[in-house]
Amino acid sequence: MNYTLHFGQVLQYVPYLVQGAWISFQIAFLAFLGGMVIGLMGATAKMFGGLWLRGLVNAYTAFFMNTPQLVQIYFFFFALPQAGILLGPYEAVLIGMTLNAGAYSAEIQRAGFLSVHKAELEAAETIGFSLLQTVWHVILPHICRVLFPPLSNHYIIMTLGTSMAAIFGVEELTGRAFNVNARTFRSIEIFTVTAGIYVLVTIVASFLLLLLGRWLFRVKGKIF
Amino acid sequence: MLTAFFEEIPAFFTYYNGLFLLQAAMRTIGLSAIGCVVGFLLGFFWAIVRLLSGKATLPARLASILYVEFFRRVPFLVTLMIVFFACQVLKLGFSVFTVATISVCLIAASYTAEIVRAGFESVPLKQWEAAEVMNFTLAQKLRLIIIPQAWKVILPPAFSFFIAFIKDTALASQIGVIELTYVGKVLNNKGYSASLVFGTILILYFIISYPLARFGARMEKRLALSKH
Repeated sequence: MNYTLHFGQVLQYVPYLVQGAWISFQIAFLAFLGGMVIGLMGATAKMFGGLWLRGLVNAYTAFFMNTPQLVQIYFFFFALPQAGILLGPYEAVLIGMTLNAGAYSAEIQRAGFLSVHKAELEAAETIGFSLLQTVWHVILPHICRVLFPPLSNHYIIMTLGTSMAAIFGVEELTGRAFNVNARTFRSIEIFTVTAGIYVLVTIVASFLLLLLGRWLFRVKGKIF
Repeated sequence: MLTAFFEEIPAFFTYYNGLFLLQAAMRTIGLSAIGCVVGFLLGFFWAIVRLLSGKATLPARLASILYVEFFRRVPFLVTLMIVFFACQVLKLGFSVFTVATISVCLIAASYTAEIVRAGFESVPLKQWEAAEVMNFTLAQKLRLIIIPQAWKVILPPAFSFFIAFIKDTALASQIGVIELTYVGKVLNNKGYSASLVFGTILILYFIISYPLARFGARMEKRLALSKH
């Protein structure tokens, strides 16, 4: 084994990689927000929808949760042009990730809705809350507190999932790592540095989410 | 467009394409099964390491925390690349399937370590203290007190994590493991239309994953009932 690690060559690319991490963050954030909206609608439909709507939403979540995200994006990227819909790599990845996130967050949010106990609603009624007051003072705080940990967890998983975009040629963190790898052939070094950046980014995200959860909903949690 | 799609179907589902897809599906299942079993054992090991006490084992505990936190915060694709190039540099001569299996095991170990740890933590503190008072060793504590209570908490999330992993192995196609996703790309390059090929691949993944997911949900419900 005659391989010496040379981090020097790679370190000059760190700013380039960090800019890539910003693009990763954008993809993860946009897909997460879109997923939340889809998830909210999906969870509402699952809880209160009619037979057909419920069946449709259940099929959507079951399909997206049981197939790989990579192949879903492949499908959007390669199959949709056949139907005349041309998507760029960034758009294909974003749409794929948003739909995928929507399915997961619909499941998560439904679990949150279900966690509201009947006794709580009855208690609210007993002290004479109106519907709006019940939603604002009882249901929302409860749901937020229950949903915050799994959703922030999901956000971290999605941040890691954005590395898939590299396969389609989006120049985010992993994509840029591939670029630098092609330029310098310092494979181990470059991917270790990339891994380090991912660890840093997700730890910072976990920490901020933790603070946000404490501040907004008094959720207890820990990073490690 | 739709008629062209339907006309292509008989040309696509030939005997050899079917065989190709089936073998690829077996490889996907094999990759995730090996990764999950080895990963679970490794994860259990790391979770137990974290339970050790005393100054002498501090490095081991730190190693456990570092290992778990590192692999849980690095994308599968990047881990795959690190393992791939590390094997190349060390001249181990592993096949790509072995490389993919190693990375799957590494990642599965870190996630299951967290799941097992959560399971251990779900056992009330009084049980731990009672075991301590009885002067049990760590092995006795785990075998007689903790695991009989914790496995109900560990099993459902571990199972759903394994199902999630079947889908994550799709990324192994990037280093050239001939599993379902890779076969999809090959067939697409052969000239079959992308919608047909990737549609089939998606359905095959669904067929593998969905029954397991249903089974997991049922198991979770049953275990939750038996807890009370």
